[in-house]
Amino acid sequence: MSFECHEPSSVTDAVALGARFGEEGRFLAGGTDLIIQMRRGKVGPRHVMSLHRVSGLDRIEADGAVRLGALVTHRTIERCPAFQGPLQALVESAAVVGGHQIRNVATVGGNIVNASPAADVVPVLLALDATVTCLGPDGERTLTLDGFLTGPGQTARRPGELLTSVRFDQLPPGSATAFVKAGRRKAMEISVVCVAVRLTLDAAHARCQEARIALGAVAPTTLRARAAERALEGQPLTDEVLRRAGRLAAGECGPIDDVRASARYRRLLVETLVPRALRRSLERIGRAA
Amino acid sequence: MSRLALSLRINGETHEVLTAPHRTLLDVLRDDLGLTGTKENCLEAECGVCTVLLDGRAVNACILLAAQCRGRDIVTIEGLASGGELHPLQRAFVERGAVQCGYCIPGMILSAKAYLEECPEASEDGIREALAGNLCRCTGYQKITEAVATAARELYGGRTTQ
Repeated sequence: MSFECHEPSSVTDAVALGARFGEEGRFLAGGTDLIIQMRRGKVGPRHVMSLHRVSGLDRIEADGAVRLGALVTHRTIERCPAFQGPLQALVESAAVVGGHQIRNVATVGGNIVNASPAADVVPVLLALDATVTCLGPDGERTLTLDGFLTGPGQTARRPGELLTSVRFDQLPPGSATAFVKAGRRKAMEISVVCVAVRLTLDAAHARCQEARIALGAVAPTTLRARAAERALEGQPLTDEVLRRAGRLAAGECGPIDDVRASARYRRLLVETLVPRALRRSLERIGRAA
Repeated sequence: MSRLALSLRINGETHEVLTAPHRTLLDVLRDDLGLTGTKENCLEAECGVCTVLLDGRAVNACILLAAQCRGRDIVTIEGLASGGELHPLQRAFVERGAVQCGYCIPGMILSAKAYLEECPEASEDGIREALAGNLCRCTGYQKITEAVATAARELYGGRTTQ
């Protein structure tokens, strides 16, 4: 590793440095991905712009819409009182990332920009229809998270642009979320498959009004299982309907064989974990009612 | 190559360091300041032997640039004993036989310290979860967990279950 280190003290200064260095610069947040990639020689920026002196990006606002600054850590998400109710999948996903040492520094913005298909918090954000805001030399733009993630390690972020926040709407009454992860051990594990779901029931709690299912580690990006979602919406959520959603989700993902698991096993996991996460979400709506 | 002049507060003392921008806190602790209690191993934040406390929270010094630690409060294993007396966590590790080769122990103790300060009512599950980022290849963790529970009782008088 060899680079010049810059320590901007404001978002404005950070974005100015981003514009100046373009492809030769990288923003550094928690460093849990970037420093390792640099040490492995996978990336070799000539300029590292560390964001540790930038204030204001480490806060969660939850009055009305929820907005997470890019530098909010996994630790902060785990302990956020606003995420103890229907949004608890955020806590569930943040709490299984690495060990305490990682979660104390790893940020939500870094997790999104790193664009690992196996990211844990990203599927939950996708199930919440999150948008991301980027600030660059041409000003600010907001994109859907789904559109932002374009491939493994690839996003729609332009050179020099800084992802500043991620945002989503509060859930309507009769909603809940759940996150389920499969790995080979309980801790310090990269997901073999992870599943995030969000359900909203109609006023009578008889039928599904809106469903979101997001899958991790089974495609080049975190993936919405849209056919499975459509199979739930407007339906009474019987066990057969939930299992059918699992089968559809398994059919629409595109896993690969790798060191952690075979593609076939990953599909079997999706088929099982999607109904499990949906059931958990339904139970939570029932308990809150 | 440019150099950064850093003022680092480590174990209550301020150290002035002149270092290259790419150097990590681990590099500076071990190579510049001779604080070799913080160990080096995987250099990928997987094993936890380089754990130190940054503003009271456990972090992996191997992936933290020294520059990111300006103005922050750093505690290493050398900062725990005071006046020739071991910290209760250190004493519990010795008395409970939690140490074999010892390489993971500084990191274990600092992770445990951060956990107990946040959760003085320590549970066995909580201890194990707090130490998940610290790998030991000798002891099998049982005695380490017991040592942390012992220290929790001594420090906070808790009723930690073993």
